[in-house]
Amino acid sequence: MSYSEKVIDHYNHPRNVGSLDKLSNDVGTGLVGAPECGDVMKLQIRVNRDTNVIEEAKFKTFGCGSAIASSSLATEWVKGKTVDEALSIKNMDIVKELSLPPVKIHCSVLAEDAIRAAISDWKKKQETAKPLAVEAK
Amino acid sequence: MTLTTITAKPAPEETQTCWSCGAMRASHFCEACGKVQPPAPVDYFTFFGLPRKLNIDVVALDKDFYELSRKLHPDLNARAGSQEQGWSLQQSSRLNDAHRVLKDPIKRTEYLLKLEGVELEEQSKSATEKARATGQLKEQVVPPDLLEEVFELNVQLEELRMNKKMGEDDPALVEEIGRQKLELEQKHEALLEELKGYWKQWDALIDREQSGQSVSQDERKQVRDKMVGLLNRRNYIRNLVRDVSEALEG
Repeated sequence: MSYSEKVIDHYNHPRNVGSLDKLSNDVGTGLVGAPECGDVMKLQIRVNRDTNVIEEAKFKTFGCGSAIASSSLATEWVKGKTVDEALSIKNMDIVKELSLPPVKIHCSVLAEDAIRAAISDWKKKQETAKPLAVEAK
Repeated sequence: MTLTTITAKPAPEETQTCWSCGAMRASHFCEACGKVQPPAPVDYFTFFGLPRKLNIDVVALDKDFYELSRKLHPDLNARAGSQEQGWSLQQSSRLNDAHRVLKDPIKRTEYLLKLEGVELEEQSKSATEKARATGQLKEQVVPPDLLEEVFELNVQLEELRMNKKMGEDDPALVEEIGRQKLELEQKHEALLEELKGYWKQWDALIDREQSGQSVSQDERKQVRDKMVGLLNRRNYIRNLVRDVSEALEG
């Protein structure tokens, strides 16, 4: 099996590698793993509280080229989108964009899971942060 | 000499007559005339006359295996007709496959899950689709604390590889990674014991079914899913241990 050009490009020049402060209130962290291959993927987003727009996204993935490319692409796609828009990204969109073969579909599933997990983590933080904000007033 | 399992009463649908002497026969060869029979399209459990239970008497399995091996061995049937020899060969190879899978506790469990229609990847995909539709967070197969551990360990492995590339040595890091590897191996072992607990639950369902009581799909699914989750965690750890070994040796 050979990787598509887009996968190789993301693999050689991964976008947005790094990490954000996971304790920060406007940061959501998604950590997911694929037992089929032992991959582990961390995806983080920084969300603007007023606009709900994802202004920054970082990832770090330990895994195969397809997993790295899927998460790299995922960070590119979520940036500039609102949280709700980002939730509409489907794993098959990633499969199409990267021309992933069937045996690598789980990598795209992982990337979608990571986006959802990060957003869910961020949402949880906003729920717990709200009462505090009300009290402050 | 009698076989412990093969001579067990066959289910009615498995009972057929011998192609050669016409006697009723249970399984791989005719009990009346001893001739090898054409292979039946049965799963490995049925091949050994076993119910689909996970706690297996491995000693009895081995005994049946050796006995069957002798009786089905193509060389022993060298004087038989070519059709019978062909069956003998097919039966022998199926016997070897069945024995290899049933003997191993993990392979046996994976095989049973496959018979039960579990496709691991399919499961993960449909769980993602469900999460998408409901907005609920997908429950990860690998628990969060294990993921954290795996992630941190991978960070350290990366550092180790980088060190080696630069020709640097960091004994403290190597020691720390070695310690974690040991922990993972222990966890890997412990999961097998946990799996045996689920075997008991599964076998109890099969026992109930065989005694004529009804077992709901939900009950089956619950135990099945627990085993799937455990095997996934175990595979995950196994892959990680392999990576760690490579990094330490490389």
